[in-house]
Amino acid sequence: MYLEINNIHKFFGTGENRTEVLKGINCNIEKGSICVLLGPSGSGKSTLLNIIGGIETAEEGSISINGDTIENMNEKQLSLYRRKHLGYVFQSYNLIPNLTVKENIEVGAYLSDNPLDVDDLMKTLGLYEHRNKIPNQLSGGQQQRTSIGRAIVKNPDLLLCDEPTGALDYKTSKEILKLIEDVNKKYGNTVILVTHNDAIKNMADRVIKLRDGQIRHDIVNTEKTPAQELDW
Amino acid sequence: MRNPLTKRIPREIKNDLGKYIALFLFLIISIGFISGFLVAGNSMKSAFDNSFEKYNVEDGHFTLGAEIDDKTKENVEDLGVKLYKNFYVNKELDNGNTLRLFKNRADFNKISVFEGNLPEKNGEIAIDRLYAENNELKVGDKIKVADKDMTISATVAFSDYTALFKNNTDMMLDAKKFSVAVVTNSDFDKIADDNYTYCYSWIDNDQNLSDSKKNDLGDDIKDELAKTGMLTDFVKRADNQAIMFSGDDIGGDKTMMLTLLYVLIVVFGFIFAITSRDTIEHEASVIGTLRASGYTRGELTRHYLVVPTLVTLIAAVIGSILGYTVMKNVVMNMYYHSYSLPPYKTLWNGDAFILTTVIPCIIITLINLFVIAKALRLPPLQFLRHDFHMKKKKKAAKLPNFKFLTRFRLRIILQNIPSYIIMVFGIMFAGLLLFFGLALNPLLANYKTEVVNNMIADYQYVLKAPVETSNDAAEKFCMTTLYESNDEEISAYGIEKDSEYLSKAKIPDKKNEVVASQGYLEKYSLKVGDKVTLKDKYGENKYTFKIVGSYYYPASLCVFMTNDNFNEVFNKDDGYFTGYFSNEKIKDIDDKYIATTITQKDLTTVTDQLDDSMGQSFTLLVGFSVLIYIILMYLLSKLVIEKNEQNISMLKILGYSNREASKLYNHATTVVTIGAIIVSIPVIYFVFAGLYHYFMFEMKGWLPYVVPWYVFVEMAVIGIICYVIIYFILQKKINKIKLSQALKSDE
Repeated sequence: MYLEINNIHKFFGTGENRTEVLKGINCNIEKGSICVLLGPSGSGKSTLLNIIGGIETAEEGSISINGDTIENMNEKQLSLYRRKHLGYVFQSYNLIPNLTVKENIEVGAYLSDNPLDVDDLMKTLGLYEHRNKIPNQLSGGQQQRTSIGRAIVKNPDLLLCDEPTGALDYKTSKEILKLIEDVNKKYGNTVILVTHNDAIKNMADRVIKLRDGQIRHDIVNTEKTPAQELDW
Repeated sequence: MRNPLTKRIPREIKNDLGKYIALFLFLIISIGFISGFLVAGNSMKSAFDNSFEKYNVEDGHFTLGAEIDDKTKENVEDLGVKLYKNFYVNKELDNGNTLRLFKNRADFNKISVFEGNLPEKNGEIAIDRLYAENNELKVGDKIKVADKDMTISATVAFSDYTALFKNNTDMMLDAKKFSVAVVTNSDFDKIADDNYTYCYSWIDNDQNLSDSKKNDLGDDIKDELAKTGMLTDFVKRADNQAIMFSGDDIGGDKTMMLTLLYVLIVVFGFIFAITSRDTIEHEASVIGTLRASGYTRGELTRHYLVVPTLVTLIAAVIGSILGYTVMKNVVMNMYYHSYSLPPYKTLWNGDAFILTTVIPCIIITLINLFVIAKALRLPPLQFLRHDFHMKKKKKAAKLPNFKFLTRFRLRIILQNIPSYIIMVFGIMFAGLLLFFGLALNPLLANYKTEVVNNMIADYQYVLKAPVETSNDAAEKFCMTTLYESNDEEISAYGIEKDSEYLSKAKIPDKKNEVVASQGYLEKYSLKVGDKVTLKDKYGENKYTFKIVGSYYYPASLCVFMTNDNFNEVFNKDDGYFTGYFSNEKIKDIDDKYIATTITQKDLTTVTDQLDDSMGQSFTLLVGFSVLIYIILMYLLSKLVIEKNEQNISMLKILGYSNREASKLYNHATTVVTIGAIIVSIPVIYFVFAGLYHYFMFEMKGWLPYVVPWYVFVEMAVIGIICYVIIYFILQKKINKIKLSQALKSDE
């Protein structure tokens, strides 16, 4: 198994306000699959994603990726882990506002010894003609495509997407989801996609439904719908 | 209901306490010092001006070869003055210092006592306070005067010796080796042993005479005394350096000090403003929401204006209080360390309050008002969208195809141009202060070397009356003091044709043509071929000379012509002369005919004295500029990091290590800072040259502007060390940025 998640517990707050947001999560994700973490607000899906990404730490439990357990890593090792294995896509894009599209993608490329060709990637992402624009000159969809470009340019094993379509309209959302699907097919990365949009689960190989910090359903989807055909 | 936003103000200060404390302290120190300077200057100047009446200071004095006869006394007093006996005797001490002993003067030139009591018993002596300080003497100590052990009963200030000039013709006061002193009447007579210097002081009966009438009266007295044939010295109060020198100096640097203060205040104003603008960008969503809910632009402008205004106001008030207390004393000590001034009373100085407290507050408020109002001009929707540009869409600046890291850093520099401009400006300013602190000592040392290397003769005797000598090394010269348009003294020399002492100067034969000293040319930006018009003291006669050559005499302001031309121009008899150049000591002229002897020691006293009175300030200045360097660099480079916190956090999420993030963000600042330090050095050199010329113009004499190379190296090294300290602090700041920062998408 590529990603193993064992008994993850996570608390927020202290004293009387201490709340358990993840209550013993267990699951395994296969290499090259698309996994959708589905759930309403406050279900703990983003927290779980952040723990997998090494941005947050769990109080209990362990996560191992390709055999490496991340809870024992120090900050430097975590940096290296993210650098080697992860690509991150956020709802709010988090592009560096004073860098152009090309330069934002190069921020990711710089981290890899063997990055994808930036110009080719921009062409794949439909960004080539916008390469010299800065984020505030782009539409939301173009910004999210740039953010995906930055995440995949280093060809990561694991692509973590936190509500990547949360700020986009229907049409653009489908374009972005198709892009993620295409990237997964073309480069073979494992994709974990957090969303509260129930329709998106249909494009996944695996669907994990969370509620109140616990896994309510863990389904293997044998009848995938291509992203382009999703409807909501 | 009170505006609930005001509750944020203490929290805002608390959140950024380090920055506000730094700015606060800096404002306090700057305002305090300048305020202290103005208060001290004003109080001291007032004490000085009032001292003439309060201590009944003489309008002039003269010295005769013997006691004045009744007839002459009556004739002089009939001119409208009262004469006072002011006999003194000079006694050389074992250590080579000279004490000038007086009886106590109760009616004129009164003496103020700082510590102890004026001598009441024989064997007691009161000495000048500054001399005591310089020689580590205190009340109760014993000193040997004329083979007699005397006990110091008091330290005092003579109202007619506020600057300790031994002779009025001396170039500089010497409070280390010369002092005035009071002894009892009987001790005075015993020590003098009939070898008095018969000095008389006069005070005009009419104290309301104009300067010119006072001067005329002085001339009449001189004419009357000249008839006796015994006049050996004659000095009007206006010409008396011992009385006037300190008064001319006090508060003289006011313009420079205020300029310094306002430059600093503008720098701080912009630091505040940039900080406020960044806070506004940071809080864009909140501002958008508040504006959308009905808060007016004015309300928000006032809100963001409160913190900078409040911090400045409190700092200015505290600075002002310090100015009247601690800082005033610091400045006062500087004056008391240079001059033998009488005690003073601190005077309320409304000007100082306005100049150092009110105006800085207004400057900082206006700068902030301008920047904040401009930043808040955007419509609410743009704030909600974090779009801070007035123009529809801002385009990316095109950069050449540099390496990615280079382009990244260039983008950071472009993003932070306002902060960096202030930083460059601040570095220049701090550098200027640093340069001032570092360059002046070498400048004085250079002056000393130049003066010694370029002396016309080892001894330059200025005579009270023409007296012949048989010494073969002696060469006659004429000298008179003329004045430039700004009343600066320029010595006009008449020297012998084929002079041995000025063999390199090609002195012209033509009347009204002169060779000018290098110092004179430099100070007044003159060149060979120019014409200069000089006047005598009261401007009655004007003399125009054409400069036909220069003579390398870098530290002096003088013109040279032949003896014959001199006598013709100044209407003197043939063969007239006023002194001798000589490389040997002249022994066959009686001391009483020698007004002054200028030796190497006399010429370097100026620098020794300046070193002594200002050396401390140079070190203080270096410390102060280092502080400005560190605070400015810290506050402005911190802004760059704060502005990009979310991006740095994002980089870390992507896998950048702390060092790599620092390499991207801090290196941009490093390039700008180190670049600014290096580039600022030649700029400062030339700016300082201009300022130096301007300030030297206000002062007497001329010190050539020569700065050794190592001062530039010191400047670069100090600047870079300051930045290295900041770099480590910034590195720590980057390390502290949390990964979760990037997850806070909006705020």
